[in-house]
Amino acid sequence: MGDDPLVIGGHALRSRFLFGTGRFPSPAVLQQALEASGSEVITFAVRRVNLDSVEDDSVLQHFDEKSIHYLPNTSGARTAAEAVRIARLARAAGLGDWIKVEISGDPRTLLPDPIETLRATEQLASEGFIVLPYTSDDPILCKRLEEAGASAVMPGGSPIGTGLGLLNPYNLGLIAEQSGVPVIIDAGIGSAKDAAEAMELGADGILANTPVAKAQDPVMMARAFRLAIEAGRLARLAGRIPKKRYASASSDWAGSLFEAAAAGEGVSGGGET
Amino acid sequence: MSREAWLDFRLYVITAQSNHPGKPVVDVIEQTLIGGAQIVQLRNKTGTRAEVLEQAKALRLLTRKYNVPFIINDYPDIVIETDADGVHLGQEDMPVAEARRLLGPDRIIGISTHNLDQALAAERDGADYIGVGPVFPTDTKPGRAAVTTSYVAEAARHVSIPFVAIGGITLDNVDLVLAAGAKRICAVSAIVGSDDPASVCRSFLRRIEAAGGKAEIANKKSLTVNGRQELTSARTVEELVQQLGQQNKKLIIELNGVIVQRAQWTATELQDGASIEMVHFVGGG
Repeated sequence: MGDDPLVIGGHALRSRFLFGTGRFPSPAVLQQALEASGSEVITFAVRRVNLDSVEDDSVLQHFDEKSIHYLPNTSGARTAAEAVRIARLARAAGLGDWIKVEISGDPRTLLPDPIETLRATEQLASEGFIVLPYTSDDPILCKRLEEAGASAVMPGGSPIGTGLGLLNPYNLGLIAEQSGVPVIIDAGIGSAKDAAEAMELGADGILANTPVAKAQDPVMMARAFRLAIEAGRLARLAGRIPKKRYASASSDWAGSLFEAAAAGEGVSGGGET
Repeated sequence: MSREAWLDFRLYVITAQSNHPGKPVVDVIEQTLIGGAQIVQLRNKTGTRAEVLEQAKALRLLTRKYNVPFIINDYPDIVIETDADGVHLGQEDMPVAEARRLLGPDRIIGISTHNLDQALAAERDGADYIGVGPVFPTDTKPGRAAVTTSYVAEAARHVSIPFVAIGGITLDNVDLVLAAGAKRICAVSAIVGSDDPASVCRSFLRRIEAAGGKAEIANKKSLTVNGRQELTSARTVEELVQQLGQQNKKLIIELNGVIVQRAQWTATELQDGASIEMVHFVGGG
């Protein structure tokens, strides 16, 4: 898809897959899965170091620093102020100024707090960050986030890690239809078919972590996602047929061996009598 | 003796022949070594080069016997000729770089300093230790204004290489010097001018040791690191990272809510009660 880049904050990406790095069985599997995914954007989280260990256990040591865009998230934040603090810490590492705003409003569902997410997006955009907020699938909120300076909006398909897929395709379709910035479906994707479905709805990209990392074979699943996202994108661009209630034959009735008989019985087209 | 080992010295002794008329230098210095002196400097500003060389040879043999480093005041050539461990320079002597060129990377170079600017310059120039003084007025250096214990305190805060307090220090005032933050003491006339140098050395060492114990506790700061209480002697962010063994990680550090860029770690001092976050990146979606 060399002529169909995903452009976020002025950066053109060949892959529409944003790759989460959490919960992989090993660094080696993580690396192979990333390779298989074709992704150019990786996400990760900011956490306190373990003072009881002197080993470098940072996730970043596993990546080639040149070929990748870094998208740290603000997970763990419950307020805009906490998210802004994490974003500034992440930027201090010198890996660019992309930030995924993730502010959980509830520990059970991990659903994003819309008010705090909007505040943080506004603040961070004003500080020059390229802000990608993880948000609920509310078209009005997504509009407001775009107005607040988000470089992309990232509505969830369903709660993080559930694998429930797209619970409200109608809303996601509306968001994709209206949005002036890229729409990345983030969270809740369970399998490759959800990714393809989201892309066909008009999403510009997919952010997934758990369905790849926790698959039986994460490397194979990473490839499945890559293909599904590409397939979904192509299907969207190609233009799908409208849905109908009843069948329509793939071949014209005209020229059928039984045309005359059928005509005599008053049948004008379609199927057997 | 390794470079690390000589860094541990606490009591530094310097020769001063005029303080013990009639007694040979070697005999007096042997008494100080018996008393526990941990580094010896030959200082002879009046003798001829030949006399200095002769004393240096004798003291080199003596200090080898006691496994103590031997430093010569001036005369880098005699340092090489007698295989002494290093040279001590004054502010008016040759620059550190020149001494280093003459003596190579392994020999010790010490410099007398009289204020913090000189101390920091010596540190920058690659000196191994500095003298800090004269703390009190002294007959060994007549006419030189005393720097008082306030310079000792400044050195304790800002100087990273070993510093030794010197000048007019006796058993009567050594506690003041130690309280100001000195860990290494040099006494000249109080030791070599006494009737029993060995016993005076032992007394100095006892006082240094006692102060060290008190200082250990007094100098510790209480910090909150990643939500955990830490008692530390670290003066700067860099020292804290090292002490906690975190130097191999790609850390981002926040001190009292403000990010400290890596380039500033060495210059950023820690205050008692400070709150520090050390974070890095982990897997996440």
